[in-house]
Amino acid sequence: MTNAIKLKHIIPFFILFALLAILWRELFYAHPNELPSALIGETVPEFQIPNLWQENKSFSTKELAGRVSLLNVWATWCSACSMEHPMLMKIKEQYHIPIYSIDYKDNSVDAKNWLHQEGNPYVMTGIDQHGDVAIDLGVYGTPETFVINPEGKIVYRHIGIIDDKVWNEVLYPLIKKYERLT
Amino acid sequence: MMRSLKLFAALVFSCIGLIQPIFAADESTTKRYYDLTKEIRCVVCQNQNIADSNAPLAIDLRNKVLQMINDNKSNDEIKTYLVKRYGEFILLRPRFIATNFLLWCFPLLALSIAGYFLYRFSPKRPT
Repeated sequence: MTNAIKLKHIIPFFILFALLAILWRELFYAHPNELPSALIGETVPEFQIPNLWQENKSFSTKELAGRVSLLNVWATWCSACSMEHPMLMKIKEQYHIPIYSIDYKDNSVDAKNWLHQEGNPYVMTGIDQHGDVAIDLGVYGTPETFVINPEGKIVYRHIGIIDDKVWNEVLYPLIKKYERLT
Repeated sequence: MMRSLKLFAALVFSCIGLIQPIFAADESTTKRYYDLTKEIRCVVCQNQNIADSNAPLAIDLRNKVLQMINDNKSNDEIKTYLVKRYGEFILLRPRFIATNFLLWCFPLLALSIAGYFLYRFSPKRPT
C-alpha cells in the first residue's frame, strides 16, 4: 500500500470546497428575503386608478406603452421612499427617463404636499388607496420600482431604495438596452 | 386610576387587530378561509402565515382571500392567483408540480446517493 495520494481520496475535499463556496455565496451575496418578481416578462397587470393631481382623470396601464419607463410604488409614510427621492429627481432631470408612480395606501393631501415641497419626479401618479393594484403587481413593500419595456412588459423589479450603485450597475444598463431597440 | 384605565383601553383596542372576525355566511367559508390563510406565507414577516401576521399586507391578503372565497373561486384558483403575483414562495406548502420536484425529492435522493457511496466505498468485512 503506497502513500500515493489517489484521486478518489481528494474528491471529497473538492465536494466540500464546492459546498462551502455555495454556503459563502448564499450567506453573503444572496438576498433570500428579496423575492424575484413572478411577473417578469409579463405585461403589466391592467389597472385604472385615480390620478393624484386630477382625481376625475385616471392613470391606467395604457399610459405606459411606447417607451421604456419606470413604475415606482411609494408612500409618504414610507421613510425609505423619501430617502430615494433625490435619486428619482436625478433620474428625471439628468437621465430623462419617465417615472410613473403609484401612491400606495396614502393620504392624497399629504402626497401632493410632499411632491410640491420636495419636487415631483413623476410623469404621472395614481392613487392605490386599498392596495389592490399593488397586490396585482406582487408588491410586498415600499419602495419598489419596476422597469417596463416599450411594449408594456415588466422586465425587472427592484426592491428597496434606488441608489447610484443600483442605477449604474443594474437599472440604467437595462433601460439603455431597451432604448436602443425603440 | 385614569392612567391605568387608559392603559387598559389601549390594550383592548390594540388587540382588535389580533381578532379576525369574519362575517361569513357559513361554516365552510370560515373553514376554507382559515385553512387557506394558514398555508399562505406573509411575505413581509416571511416565516409567518398570513393568518397570524399583523403586517398590513397580510391583512390585505386575508381580505383578498375572503373576497375570492365569496366569489366562489376554488382553493386552487386562489393559490394560483397569489403564485402568479408573488411566486411559489408565497405558499408555505409548495405545490407538487414539475418545477418543485427537486424541492420535494432532493432529501430522499441525496440520502440515497450518500447511502450508495457509503456502501460502495466502505471497507469490506473479511468473508
